[in-house]
Amino acid sequence: MVVGLRNFSDRIGDGSGEPVLDTENGEEMMRVQTGVTIVLGNGTPQSPGTLYISTKRVIWLSDVDKEIGYVVGFLSISLHAISRDLDSYPSPCIYAQIEAEVGEDDDSEGSGSEANDTIDVSKITEMRLIPSDPSQLDSLFDVFCECAELNPEPNEVHEEEHNWIFSADQLDESMMPEVRDFEWQEDPGNPIGYSNGNHDVVDSILELQIDDQRFDDAEEMEREAQSGHQ
Amino acid sequence: MLFFSYFKDLVGREVTVELKNDLAIRGTLHSVDQYLNIKLENTRVVDQDKYPHMLSVRNCFIRGSVVRYVQLPADGVDTDLLHDATRREARGG
Repeated sequence: MVVGLRNFSDRIGDGSGEPVLDTENGEEMMRVQTGVTIVLGNGTPQSPGTLYISTKRVIWLSDVDKEIGYVVGFLSISLHAISRDLDSYPSPCIYAQIEAEVGEDDDSEGSGSEANDTIDVSKITEMRLIPSDPSQLDSLFDVFCECAELNPEPNEVHEEEHNWIFSADQLDESMMPEVRDFEWQEDPGNPIGYSNGNHDVVDSILELQIDDQRFDDAEEMEREAQSGHQ
Repeated sequence: MLFFSYFKDLVGREVTVELKNDLAIRGTLHSVDQYLNIKLENTRVVDQDKYPHMLSVRNCFIRGSVVRYVQLPADGVDTDLLHDATRREARGG
């Protein structure tokens, strides 16, 4: 998945029409709004243009220069809002925060030779969309919300796979020494695998967790093992 | 689903949502969905000097995946009830 804002010029037909959508993967147009000005970061307003909101992405295309356009996926839009307080920002607009690429911000600042005349849109973290008709703001905001909800994080299914112990009921007696054993191993003075210089310790712990028989042989647990099994 | 139900009970209350980019937004919880996307009303940014971005904004939609913490009203937390609910959820019941 592409992160952040990108340039976009993939238009239908000879390049004058609407953006090409990924219809094969179910992308559909949700809203087309003409007469929208876009502001990227702290940059100057660009207009006029047309805003396209699909089930997956927000696309703005310039009406003047067919090569100019921007796209951002809903997965990269952290937050969106209606901006109406004219004291803080002169034009009522949809305000969006974009999750940009991380890790490059500091290094690439001075190295980019094009930095002066061309902005690197992938670093943009804020975007304002100013419709010429401010009465459209509420419905635009609602479409943004609806589409954001259509795009949950793709990896959230893994959440169920953890293996934690949540209640005392799940700790039967045979497990208890194991837990204590773990606490001892986590002592900062004895990092796992290197205590006593014995590199096999990790392996033996893994076996202990799996194999109860072996576990009973552990020296420090001898007393419990005896009392527990008689 | 537990926290979804829990947050739904907090609708109308004042909460502070802290995002992973360190922006903290205080506002009235308007709604929450199953992905923990959060809509706030009457918003204000907690540290406006440091984060002037949203001075002009009074409501917002926050993507659930960018939320780091939600600070709750102290009296909005029924600890016993929440304990029971987490245990039930852990058992898959």
